[in-house]
Amino acid sequence: RGVNTFSPEGRLFQVEYAIEAIKLGSTAVGIQTKEGSVLAVEKRLTSPLLDPASVEKIAEIDSHIGAAMSGLVADAKTLVDHARVEAQNHRFTYDEPIGVEPLTQAVCDLALSFGEGSDGDSSKRMSRPFGVALLLAGYDELEGSQLYFSDPSGTFVRYKAKAIGAGSEGAQSNLEEAYSETMTLNEAEELALSTLKQVMEEKISTDNIELARVTPDKGFHIATPDEVATVLERLSG
Amino acid sequence: LLFSPSQAIQYQNNVPTPFSLTAELFDPEGNSKPWIDIRGGDFEEVASENLFPSQRPPPPLEFAHGTTTLSFTFQGGIIVAVDSRASLGSFVGSKTTQKVLPINSHMIGTMAGGAADCQFWIRKIKSEALLHEVEEGRRMSVARASRILANYLYSVRQLQLSLGTMIAGWDEKGPQLYYVDNTGLRIQGDLFAVGSGSTFALGILDTATNRYELSVDEAIALGIRAIRHATFRDAYSGGFINVYLITPEDGWKRVFQEDIARTPEAWQALKQKEESELDIN
Repeated sequence: RGVNTFSPEGRLFQVEYAIEAIKLGSTAVGIQTKEGSVLAVEKRLTSPLLDPASVEKIAEIDSHIGAAMSGLVADAKTLVDHARVEAQNHRFTYDEPIGVEPLTQAVCDLALSFGEGSDGDSSKRMSRPFGVALLLAGYDELEGSQLYFSDPSGTFVRYKAKAIGAGSEGAQSNLEEAYSETMTLNEAEELALSTLKQVMEEKISTDNIELARVTPDKGFHIATPDEVATVLERLSG
Repeated sequence: LLFSPSQAIQYQNNVPTPFSLTAELFDPEGNSKPWIDIRGGDFEEVASENLFPSQRPPPPLEFAHGTTTLSFTFQGGIIVAVDSRASLGSFVGSKTTQKVLPINSHMIGTMAGGAADCQFWIRKIKSEALLHEVEEGRRMSVARASRILANYLYSVRQLQLSLGTMIAGWDEKGPQLYYVDNTGLRIQGDLFAVGSGSTFALGILDTATNRYELSVDEAIALGIRAIRHATFRDAYSGGFINVYLITPEDGWKRVFQEDIARTPEAWQALKQKEESELDIN
């Protein structure tokens, strides 16, 4: 089947297969609260010889927005780079930080055109859809704390809590049970890590997960190993 | 990079034509001209012939060149001192121009020459620096920021931009100061003064033979004296004296501001009145 050809039943198989590829990726969890949003990803270290610090599955897009990825991480780099440039262009043109939804839309525009982009640079166009899903967490003055899920089909949906990747089914039902609108940011961090702990094969530790938060006052911040250790202690304590 | 060069447009007989290098290099008889400063050089020749106004090329744009900006490094960091007058010919357009433009928390650029050119391109460098911070996880170095700007200005020197900026900052190499201008020149130094009042400022700055060993207060006082003297002698400099200090701990910070039109006592009294009004509110 051609990439852009509909099937008789009205489906785009390549896009659906791309969504399947994400189900093989490492689990990522995002939770939004009134105090801010939290992102947590399982690093999935395949060897004790590899450097855990070099595995980066959470990326800063601007000081007030970050993204967690699951699936083909190399594809995510293209999306994240594009998002970073869009965020700076917006700041330059309008002298304000970009809203989280317009930024998510810009990422999805790229996903929909398989990498071609609005500048029409067709040399960047891939012959297949992106094989990665992103959880974009950010804060802007218009809508406050937000969490968006974007997938290879080029759609995005706003979530209060979302899990993607290999353990996403179990993780999502866990989130549905435990999520509450009045959660504090610390409770959200604990929920994110306990959800990951349940679906991860290896024992959770400061080395094999990545944790980040976005708050109105401090913006986007990736937790240091010490900060992750503090949250893990709260979990076990 | 976020930006790319655009086309240059020339005006001949009030009709825009695409820029062509050969038009500049050969005179009407076809003899090659020595490479001339294209800013203003041609206009005097052509205007002296008795052409009708509609046949003459438009006069070169009058930029706000008048300014005094200076910067020097010393043991306590980097001092950047500027005036705040924007002059359009002999008209004082503004006395509150912001001639120090931040690039990141530890780096600033100064404005001399065309105000719009400086504002726009230093803002572009600020955008590049912020993108760099997000991608690399650390601040952009002064050498890199000034290189990006200088390389770019060289590639578009035919646009006749007017820009003389000092990129000053504290990075991993310590205090760094570069002068970058519209010809694409980029030089590193410990002391620079740029603008129509620069020569007067340099006269004051060069009297301090122990400049590096000055204390922070003495260095600020030297910067103030230099700008004040330049505004005294140069008609195109004036307004406010703004002095900034760059240190590794705090980054850049304005440490002094004074309205030259008032005596120091009157200025202090005005500031205290404003502060007490703010407290009441």
